[in-house]
Amino acid sequence: MREEINKITILPGINKFGENERFEKIDIKKGQVVAIVGHTGAGKSQLLYDLERLAQKDTKSKRKILVNDEVPDKELRFNPKRKLIASLAQSMNFFTDMSVGDFLQLHLESRGKKSKKGLIKEVIDETNKITGETISPKMNLLNLSGGQSRALMVSDVANISISPIILIDEIENAGIRKEEAIKILVEEGKIILIVTHDPSLALSADKRIIIKNGGVVKILNTSLKEKGIAHYLNWIENYGLDIREKIRKGEEIKNVEIYCEPIKSKNKIQI
Amino acid sequence: MKFIIFAGTPGSGKTSIIKYIIQELKNDSKLFFAKFDCLQTLDNERITQEHKIPAVKKLSGELCPDHYTALEIPKIIKENQDKDIIILETAGLCLRCSPYVKEGLGVNVLDITSGDPSRYGPILTEADIVAISKGDLISQAEREIFRAKVLKVNPKAKISEVNGLTGEGAIDIAEFIKESPVIKNENLTLKHSMPSALCGYCYGNRIIDEKEEHQRALAGKELKNLVPGLNCGKCGFKSCNEFIRAVLDGKAKKEQCPFIKQ
Repeated sequence: MREEINKITILPGINKFGENERFEKIDIKKGQVVAIVGHTGAGKSQLLYDLERLAQKDTKSKRKILVNDEVPDKELRFNPKRKLIASLAQSMNFFTDMSVGDFLQLHLESRGKKSKKGLIKEVIDETNKITGETISPKMNLLNLSGGQSRALMVSDVANISISPIILIDEIENAGIRKEEAIKILVEEGKIILIVTHDPSLALSADKRIIIKNGGVVKILNTSLKEKGIAHYLNWIENYGLDIREKIRKGEEIKNVEIYCEPIKSKNKIQI
Repeated sequence: MKFIIFAGTPGSGKTSIIKYIIQELKNDSKLFFAKFDCLQTLDNERITQEHKIPAVKKLSGELCPDHYTALEIPKIIKENQDKDIIILETAGLCLRCSPYVKEGLGVNVLDITSGDPSRYGPILTEADIVAISKGDLISQAEREIFRAKVLKVNPKAKISEVNGLTGEGAIDIAEFIKESPVIKNENLTLKHSMPSALCGYCYGNRIIDEKEEHQRALAGKELKNLVPGLNCGKCGFKSCNEFIRAVLDGKAKKEQCPFIKQ
């Protein structure tokens, strides 16, 4: 049985100095992607933590999280079989000494799911779409690189910890193809929150929450213009990635051909 | 009075999380904190300083710290009749002893990076509550697997994820403590028999050889398989282990146990 999630609500708590956050509430609706931005150490990950725990004034920030306008029950908060939230944290290492295949099998079992034939292969195939160096089910978890671990976690969240709410912490630092990763994670009808320093990721979200000194200081809806800028930034980045690939292959880079690709959008956007 | 025992390996975050739990409880209840350790500890002073609640330190020295804890419990209870909650932190060196009492509440603080939960004995399997610490260091997938493994060895456990640095999860443990039963002035019983002093090393021998010590341990093990482990007292001793020791020392005959006779 999967609970239908239409909305989560963040109610204000306190910042690092104990001062009240100055917003009434933040509603995040089904299908929305929200970016959480701010300087390093500002408290972005704390907000993700509050959401993952469905905090009830019992975390450092004293925030309160509602699901569908109600206080979620304890089972929902702690039983992984009923958990609503899948998260990708910043930590990129595994501690368990076992093969990738066995690990995924165990995770399936701990979620109370029966192993569908071919699912493990699917998880691994999708992992290999977003990491440069491919992995196989026989490889030991402990031998995976940072990028491989992160890619495996992304694929696990997309295929095993299937949840209506997904929390992502700084996916751009993982050495993986972030666009592919987001594509795999973002499905229609989900609520997605991304902590990020990446301008194109931040501007492609529906809204962004700005954090300073442990508290939310501003909430902005992304304008159409900003979405256009995100698209442009993304294009520049991809151009850079192409050059990176050439460098990796040992090619010499002689000149840069920067030109602006017309934006394929129904809405006219001025940049 | 409620009686809460915290056990867990050194460095698992027992004291850190206890501080946050005390913070949650101290406004509504009169608390007392007892810290057990082998050689040295300052935790009792820190707790008193930070939270203004009375605390004591107990150092076991030559004795096994968990056995020493059990020996000291009656005194602690007697001296603190005016308190609502006694929180006792063990040295946490032995995964086998775990001096949890049936009448009170046993909390195992379990470091998520410390390996497979199936390696742990009564410290985990007999705990009422398992507080899993350091979860922020690993992926959600591993956290979920770890949790499932804990439930495999201790299906009755209530599990809470805690963070000793930030205090997250402390409020859940505080809730469990508030819901836990009150102990009356009766004798407390251990949830699990502690290991028995069957071999010469328990008595302080230092020579490692194949002869005497080995023989005694082997004979002890054999007897352990024969006795029922009921601690029924029909042999005249308080526990099966005590009876075995007496037999090995030549102070009792094994036929004194009605179950061995059959």
